[in-house]
Amino acid sequence: MIYFYDGSKEAFYTAFLLAYPDEEAVLTSGSKQLGIGQKTVFVRADPARAKQAERRLEELDPECVKELDLLLRSGQPNRDTVAFGYFKLIAARGGPVRRMLAEDAVIAARECMQRVRFEIHRFHGFLRFMESACGALYAPVSPDNDICDLLVPHFRARLPQYPFVIHDVKRRKAAVYDGANTFLAPLDRAEIVLSADEKAWQDLWKKYYHSVNIPSRERLRQMRGYMPVRYWKFLPEKFPGDFGTS
Amino acid sequence: MISEEKLQILTESAKYDVSCSSSGSKRKNEGGMGNGYAAGCCHSFTPDGRCISLLKILLSNDCIFNCRYCMSRSDSDVPRATASPEEICELVIDFYKRNYIEGLFLSSAVHRSPDHAMEQLLLTVKKLRTEYQFHGYIHLKGIPRADERLVREAALYADRMSFNIELPSEQSLRLLAPQKSRESLLLPMKRLQKEREIFRLEKRKGHFLPAGQTTQMIVGASPEPDGQILRLTQSLYRANGLKRVYFSSYVPVVHDSLLPEKPAGELREHRLYQADWLLRFYGFSAEEIVDDHGNLPLELDPKCAWALRNLHLFPVEINRAPLEVLLRVPGIGAKSAYKIMEARRYTRLNFEDLKKMRVVLKRARHFITADGKFCGASGSALRGLLSAGDPLNATQLSFFSDRETARSALTGEL
Repeated sequence: MIYFYDGSKEAFYTAFLLAYPDEEAVLTSGSKQLGIGQKTVFVRADPARAKQAERRLEELDPECVKELDLLLRSGQPNRDTVAFGYFKLIAARGGPVRRMLAEDAVIAARECMQRVRFEIHRFHGFLRFMESACGALYAPVSPDNDICDLLVPHFRARLPQYPFVIHDVKRRKAAVYDGANTFLAPLDRAEIVLSADEKAWQDLWKKYYHSVNIPSRERLRQMRGYMPVRYWKFLPEKFPGDFGTS
Repeated sequence: MISEEKLQILTESAKYDVSCSSSGSKRKNEGGMGNGYAAGCCHSFTPDGRCISLLKILLSNDCIFNCRYCMSRSDSDVPRATASPEEICELVIDFYKRNYIEGLFLSSAVHRSPDHAMEQLLLTVKKLRTEYQFHGYIHLKGIPRADERLVREAALYADRMSFNIELPSEQSLRLLAPQKSRESLLLPMKRLQKEREIFRLEKRKGHFLPAGQTTQMIVGASPEPDGQILRLTQSLYRANGLKRVYFSSYVPVVHDSLLPEKPAGELREHRLYQADWLLRFYGFSAEEIVDDHGNLPLELDPKCAWALRNLHLFPVEINRAPLEVLLRVPGIGAKSAYKIMEARRYTRLNFEDLKKMRVVLKRARHFITADGKFCGASGSALRGLLSAGDPLNATQLSFFSDRETARSALTGEL
């Protein structure tokens, strides 16, 4: 049986309860090629049952709820299968399994979470703010995983006096810090009026970037390995023209 | 705002300094901008494959010293510039706000006098911390022969300081950097180390170099063998409590009859870093890695070379070997060793398991048994298999095109 669910935590727990006893169960929130004769069921979140499942799993492993949050944020197409496999093992073993590092389900879950965590770390570095005329900062991002709200605490701690918006242009939503509170909001397109100095600072940054390079030691492959090309889109130093509207 | 031209001059004179790390400080944001990031953070990568973490810049490149290897030496004909503390502060704040940088790495030529240069450095970091309320990472270079009071005060504001030891021996220093002496570089390091210890023991308020001290030396500009360099490195870690020793393979930026015409191989630098990792994280001593007058082999990583000299200790059984033994297996790094230690508590590991766990077996398989099974070569075949090729061509090997080595070049992990 294939269990479709909407990708939310509640629906996952609901689907998990249904699918757990089913040995042939496949859990998915995306599109799935159906085999001939394969049965499907669409699972709608049932808040009461979800809460019950969550509580039970938390008893078995207090950390696993946080891990589920990371797993469901993954952009990996098989994330539901990975999460299901991992939680099935927790339920079957009746306790934490994260240290069973030779177990397939654990390896898959660890690697999946690792990718999400690593991307968060990367964006702590690769995110670029631009300053708008009103002083608020705006950063467009297009991460592989659904992480834009997880980036907020880091920047909030550093720049408490500056309201900022981290805009996930791919998922059309934004994490907003208004100077006091943080919230998530749908955001399709943003029109930003840049501050008077913004372009000059971007130019200065580009100048710095090119001056600090040692041309006789060119190693483009290595650069691309550490900073994959898909992240260049919003980096002024990698953007051929000028960025943003003024 | 600093002019583009000035920024360019002051950056180009600073870029050969290799340290870029922004790790080790947990400084809190005390009502302003910025904080420390204990793990460190890279913000960009330049086409030479190096990361940009800190804004690496000189306050001035106008120098009264005449170190032969340095492009800012007093008799070299290069454009000179000096920035004001305000210009630097403003640059840091506006770059940091846009998340271009993790903090500042500020150095200076010996402008006018050692004391004047140190004073200007101190003034800049003090301004950044107090007036601009900046709590991000600051790495400050110490100026040799500057007044110790200035140095000590600067340490109250910086996260990390470094005096570059420049060259691996007193003789080379005398020859190539006549105004510097071993003592003028080591003494301030020792003083800061002592102060830092006292500061910590007395639990005084504020900060005193939370990320410690580092140093850097040029490799290949003078004739010291790797053995000597590594012994010096070891003593800097043990006796002076340094956090890192950086090696910078010599690049001829100026022509001088006392200096080699050709750059030192980057592979040699890489091997030295691998050996440095063995010293710091793998429980090796310099004496085990290479003898006094010897050099590290270029065709093999230093751990592999050590293992080949000590074949009587291998193979080890992956299911029983203690951590310190696992760490000595070529190809097994700290992460793999940890994974093996954890996984074997639940199951008996075989080669299939190791592969699944992404333990790299290319080298390791010759030195381990897994569940009693041995999958490697032995004897003379082994050496051939492990060598990266003809050592004479080693400098031409594009070793960074190999993913595994490329990663190891960044993390140093073997």
